[in-house]
Amino acid sequence: MTTPHDELLSFDVATLADKFRAREISPVEVTEAYLARIEQVEGKLHSYITVTDKVARKAAKKAEAEITAGKWRGPFHGVPIGLKDLLYTKGIRTTGGSKILADFKPDYDATVWARLARAGAVLLGKLNLHEFAYGISSSNPHWGIARNPYALDRIPGGSSGGSAAAIVACSAAATIGTDTGGSIRIPAALCGCVGLKPTWSRVSRYGVLPLAYTLDHVGPITRTVRDAALMLGVIAGHDRNDSTSSRERVRDYTKALDTGVSGIRIGVIRELNDGLSDDVAKSFHAAIDQFRSLGAVVDEATIPSLPLAGVITGIIVSGEALEIHEDWIRTRRQDYGEDVRRLLENGMMTTATAYIRAQRARARVLAEASAALASRDVLIAPGSAIGAPKIGEGGLLGQPEDRVDVGNAILRFTSPFDVTGQPALAIPTGLSSEGLPLSMQVIGRPFGEEQVIQVAAAYERARGAMPRPTAI
Amino acid sequence: MPQITAETVKQVLRDLYGYDISDDDARRIAAGGGALVTSSEHLKSLGLAGIEPPFGYPVLSAEARRLNAIKK
Repeated sequence: MTTPHDELLSFDVATLADKFRAREISPVEVTEAYLARIEQVEGKLHSYITVTDKVARKAAKKAEAEITAGKWRGPFHGVPIGLKDLLYTKGIRTTGGSKILADFKPDYDATVWARLARAGAVLLGKLNLHEFAYGISSSNPHWGIARNPYALDRIPGGSSGGSAAAIVACSAAATIGTDTGGSIRIPAALCGCVGLKPTWSRVSRYGVLPLAYTLDHVGPITRTVRDAALMLGVIAGHDRNDSTSSRERVRDYTKALDTGVSGIRIGVIRELNDGLSDDVAKSFHAAIDQFRSLGAVVDEATIPSLPLAGVITGIIVSGEALEIHEDWIRTRRQDYGEDVRRLLENGMMTTATAYIRAQRARARVLAEASAALASRDVLIAPGSAIGAPKIGEGGLLGQPEDRVDVGNAILRFTSPFDVTGQPALAIPTGLSSEGLPLSMQVIGRPFGEEQVIQVAAAYERARGAMPRPTAI
Repeated sequence: MPQITAETVKQVLRDLYGYDISDDDARRIAAGGGALVTSSEHLKSLGLAGIEPPFGYPVLSAEARRLNAIKK
């Protein structure tokens, strides 16, 4: 019996895995359901740059045959996923969201995709993003303006905007994003899904177009915390092709999912608990109350140098991104979108001394964050001070007496944990009065993903299901 | 605090990167890039004496080994 498409699309990765393994449903029918869904919503969302339907159908058939033969590769076997179009896929166009790489087909796979493919994942396509991952709107001038499934006139966030929009729109079961100043957690926060930025070096960056070498992270964007834990388990681990990837043992990240937070010590970051919109403040403080009611011990923590994290990120990214783009900006300046071109040219004014100073300052911020965690298990903060801004709404928002800088209202919450490299997970906390997703971050010690997942999972269970988007 | 002028921007782009830009673009870059340079001065307030930059020898040597492995 064929299961109706809507039901197939409603299953998270963990459920799909159970049902595939029990042969209640097949990867082929689920993949077809996803391809039909992409066809249905893409005209509105622009979350994909390339749909790899033939590749997906072939992989789904192979997965089905293997599972039928009793050769189950694990929870991603037969699961349809999407990759941010920053990850190399052998023989498949990888644009980086740019005009410059419009026809680029890599001759090897990114390690993250190679590991997911080996685990049997089915590639639905390559997802839209802010051009070269250098921005937070995903309003891409070359491949279409990605839109938020909760409100089509609003941004999905970025740079991994397509990755989050596809999750919420049910046009992928799980996706991969990258995060240099917040590009996994911002779209997860603004679209209402889970985004996990692992510890820097936890996941290989090999075959991922870089934005800034020393700040780039790769991680899952998913519907549930459990799915993020499952996906991290597949992609984490040392990679001999990435000399910076860690040899720290990969744990079973699903182990602590059901442990709860009784007795867990949670610090609310003082420096990120101000300047919040009324909706965000209300939602975040309700989440704090929720943790207390679950038995966690919540107090205030401080990271005094955290307000300078934005400066550190800005200087490092401008220098490293320019080094990567230097030849193209000289020869193909007109092929960049205006905002990215301007950011790269701003970088031409960055001095080597500023760059080195910014790198050295990272240790100060991490030292303070580590001190805050010495007597606590995790830290929490809002995912953003505001809900998703309208498309094209940059600069200053609001009345003259309480104007908000859009970029600052978002990036100041996320960039500190790229600077420190700590694991940070964005999880939805509900909807605003305008019906827009709101979010909280759970931040852990370096390589403390297990505890981050444990705390986020406990909150997710208590919160209940998020209302579905009605705009699509 | 250091200040960057539009004229400086135009000259840097012309001399170091080999192209000319409009006066408007130069003014925007002077403001954006200049703000970065100025704000880097604020980082001194963090007390950075004795802090090493986070570039380690293990990565340098691993990268060299990887390059040699590719050659083979």
